[in-house]
Amino acid sequence: MGELKVVGKKVERVDVRSKVTGGALYAADVQLAGMLYGKIVRCYDHAHARVTSLDLSEAVKCKGVIKVLGPKDVTQKEYNASVLDMMVSADMRGVLGDIDDQSIFTDHVKHYGDAIAAVIATSEEAAERAAEKIKATYEELPVYLTADDAKQPDALQFRPEKPGNLAFQLPEMAFPNNAYAWGEVDDSFAEADIIVEDSFYVSKQKQCQMEPGSYIALYDDQKRLNCWTSTQMPKLVQKKLANLYELPMTRVKIHTTVIGGGFGARLGMVLEPETCALAMAVPGRPVKLLSPREEDWLTSPSRHPGKYWMKMGFKKDGTPVACDAKFENYKGAYYVDASGTAFTTGAWLGGMYKFDSLRYRGESYYTNQSICGAFRGYGNPQTNFVMEQMVDRGCAQLGADPIEWRKKWHKTIGDDGWCIGVPYNSCALDECLDRAAEAISWTEKRVKYKNQTGVKRRGIGVAVMNHTSGAMPMLLEHTVCDVLLHQDATATINLACSDMGQGSHTTLRQVAAETLDFPYDDIHIATGDTDAAGFDIGAHASRTLYVGGGAVKQACEDVRRQLFDRAALELEEDASNLYMEDKIIHVKGASNKSISVQTIADQGVNNFMNPETGELIGQPGQIQGYASFFPPHNAPPFGATIAEVEVDTETGEVKVIELVNAHDVGRAIHPGVVEGQLDGGAQQGLGMALTEETYFDEKGICLNNSFTDYKMFGPSDMPKMTNILVENPDPTGPFGAKGVGEAGIVPPVGATANAIFNAIGVQILEAPITPEKILKALEEKNNA
Amino acid sequence: MTSRVMRDFDLLLPESVAQAITLLATHKDKAAVLAGGTDLLVALKFDYDIDNVVSLALVPGLDVLEFDSERGLAIGAKVTIADLLKSSDVKEYYPALWQSAKVFATPQLRNTATVIGNILRASPAGDCSLAIYALGGILTLENATGRREVDLDDFWISYGVTARKDDELTISLQVPAPATGQKSAFRRMTRVTEDLSKLNAAVCLQMDGDECTGARVAMGCVGPTLIRLPKVENMLAGSVVTPELLQEISDTVASEINPIDDIRSSAEYRLKVAGVLVKRVIKLALNEGNDQ
Repeated sequence: MGELKVVGKKVERVDVRSKVTGGALYAADVQLAGMLYGKIVRCYDHAHARVTSLDLSEAVKCKGVIKVLGPKDVTQKEYNASVLDMMVSADMRGVLGDIDDQSIFTDHVKHYGDAIAAVIATSEEAAERAAEKIKATYEELPVYLTADDAKQPDALQFRPEKPGNLAFQLPEMAFPNNAYAWGEVDDSFAEADIIVEDSFYVSKQKQCQMEPGSYIALYDDQKRLNCWTSTQMPKLVQKKLANLYELPMTRVKIHTTVIGGGFGARLGMVLEPETCALAMAVPGRPVKLLSPREEDWLTSPSRHPGKYWMKMGFKKDGTPVACDAKFENYKGAYYVDASGTAFTTGAWLGGMYKFDSLRYRGESYYTNQSICGAFRGYGNPQTNFVMEQMVDRGCAQLGADPIEWRKKWHKTIGDDGWCIGVPYNSCALDECLDRAAEAISWTEKRVKYKNQTGVKRRGIGVAVMNHTSGAMPMLLEHTVCDVLLHQDATATINLACSDMGQGSHTTLRQVAAETLDFPYDDIHIATGDTDAAGFDIGAHASRTLYVGGGAVKQACEDVRRQLFDRAALELEEDASNLYMEDKIIHVKGASNKSISVQTIADQGVNNFMNPETGELIGQPGQIQGYASFFPPHNAPPFGATIAEVEVDTETGEVKVIELVNAHDVGRAIHPGVVEGQLDGGAQQGLGMALTEETYFDEKGICLNNSFTDYKMFGPSDMPKMTNILVENPDPTGPFGAKGVGEAGIVPPVGATANAIFNAIGVQILEAPITPEKILKALEEKNNA
Repeated sequence: MTSRVMRDFDLLLPESVAQAITLLATHKDKAAVLAGGTDLLVALKFDYDIDNVVSLALVPGLDVLEFDSERGLAIGAKVTIADLLKSSDVKEYYPALWQSAKVFATPQLRNTATVIGNILRASPAGDCSLAIYALGGILTLENATGRREVDLDDFWISYGVTARKDDELTISLQVPAPATGQKSAFRRMTRVTEDLSKLNAAVCLQMDGDECTGARVAMGCVGPTLIRLPKVENMLAGSVVTPELLQEISDTVASEINPIDDIRSSAEYRLKVAGVLVKRVIKLALNEGNDQ
């Protein structure tokens, strides 16, 4: 690889000007002629109830009302808003047991805020006022908030095909004994000198993306269903809507609008089915549906909370002999993503350390909480909270330094990765640990913070993580990219990859510019139209740069090959004897023989005959590049975080003093974008560790579905932070890049928990680690 | 029901105190007064009873923020939290108030929310209200029959309920001038920096050398209204503030409060930590370090 011209540079992001000036068009900004407005009526009285009567009559009479829809007035088809079923083969789909259990409006309310009806009106205000007139009566049902509640033998069954309210467990057919495992765990524990074991709780964290759900749908005069949405997955949502409304894909079009943050909250469908149901009821009229934040909170998925038990065994010399774990998550009211996270939570565990044997069981239980689904990290933050605290407890008993132990026992090149049978092909975790340790003076501080007695005590802790770039081989990984070379020798890259704000359209453009050897300004990334773009799974699993970038690179290489082939014909030279510089193709060693890309591109489009000779001037045909790209691997990113905290032992308050994040990113295509991901990830990781949780009362009423009482880390809560980018190019990534979208959130979770452990000598087993829990734990320790 | 759309209401724009009072007399409990609006505009989405909003925007004379070494600090109905932070008098003579203003909500809200609005909200978690409670304050209210003064000690009746009558306009607040040796401080605990308090405390100590001759100690988030701690005040009055006394005070606080479990914290935690907070706020007032 020669010197890189665009890759590795902090070029101007494609979206920055429109976002800071307010020019960016979000779905809420889109106005269409004749637009109507929808309001969904939700049950806020109960978390579990049957609707015994629904009176729409008063609402129908309200001013401005066009239609009022109950459960029978919309499609009766059930669906599953998740898209996991579209990412696996039909056989695997059966094995995983995904089911369709959602309906547009329900007469069996299963969570606080479940939808029971809707109004379509000429204004948002009219729709809201009419919605207030809809009267429902309910028969209250018992509320199940945890796995333990839901699995009681006499508990009401959410779905007949899921006995015991067990929505999912690792299926026997693919995972013997319902476990993701290697070795013989019970035998291995017999060899252990030290065994640590505990039961943890991981919290229901919300993505808190800035843009609440906003949608428009229109069933147009060509009988096409259009949906404007800021989805992360336009092509899968197109297919899902086609299935739900029994239309061919040619009659469903997704118009992707600017995405105001995703983090998994827009993975799969959210309110697209409901918005389309409204539009189908008023053909020819666009219907807009805007979620207030409180509603977005309840209808888009959260992180999977639940009980996470873990046991680890070590030999005296530190050898990790066995790890046994079980995650029982509180799935929420519907199936969505019941299988995915239950598996990956264990996959990240399995991918981290060289235990002689390991067994992980993952189970998802229906509960009367709002749904869980994808959230940055997809099970990894949960595992980090538990696994990394257990490792540090083990290290404390072994008398081992947590960094040295991790360096010795983490998995690396050649070891099985998060997916058994797919070995890691790159790993720079040792360098991450060394550089982070040096940056924060780890060794010095570990000594200094021993035996503190003051009211305020400092602590320093580390955590590591492995993640993935794309979900290969568990899930389909595929992106199609077309490159159109214009007659002025600029290029439009057409693909369906969404930019959620993470900067992927910028980095994809850099990959295109570098591959074509064109200036950055000569490239445009075109997205947002499912009629035009070929297949793409969507933005998830830290894949957009790795897989989307792979597709862009391959399609641009196709363009380059065509350019060189045509130049070879024009210059009467072998293509292998040509080189390109400043968009001019030269013959090696003959500086006077050359042709510009501009000439080739122009002649391809404006192809004329020489009137004297009757021959075509140049080679005819507009050049287009194409790739239908399936990545060969999943280029695992690794990362380490070291956190320093100060704990006030009189109040239990924690101040995060400093965070050092060192990540093996393969190659930073755009260092600013990578740092942005690590900064933002750390903000969510700290929140998961210390403040973020969705609370329900005993009746299942959500107590904090808004920013008033759901607390994220704000700018002034953030610690001093250093990001170290370790660039160790992955052999399969575009220019060596790995995915970084999710990595940043993961290790701050465990590192913060471990820093608190280091400061006060007690581990807090429930996330988030609040002052209330710390004070209680300190009291228990003092009383012991 | 969630909502994105504010309800219909009539916006009334009086141009004098007299006009405003007339409007309040007409609409009584069907009217709300708009000064900063940071609470009201949220409430308007859900409150079916507010048909009339009486805005003070065009009423002159309510934006007075004036310090006089004898009469003290006068705060008009339209004075914002941000205004307090711009006042060197507030910073110098009323440190508790200044400290509470500094951490109040967010910069955007501080620019809009009024000091008197915070008092009228009658929240048991109010920050500026708590600081003023410790410093002492007299509200001037006016209706068609004339003006009256109400001591803050008698103003908050229960959660969200005050001694203000529906037809009364709150004109101003007077905080007494500090005597030589007055020291005050405010401290609060929150889940994150930008948050409502989950526990807050403010003190105003009258010091004569090492001796405390009188004290007002107030706490929030430990009852349906902001409260004062008479036992603690008595322990301080006439005493030299020693580490032993501070420990005794810290141990006493729990017996004077009645906190509940809520989304921000638990009764158990508040009972455990309130004493620590009071101890720390006293030390802060006496400039003995601002941390422990």
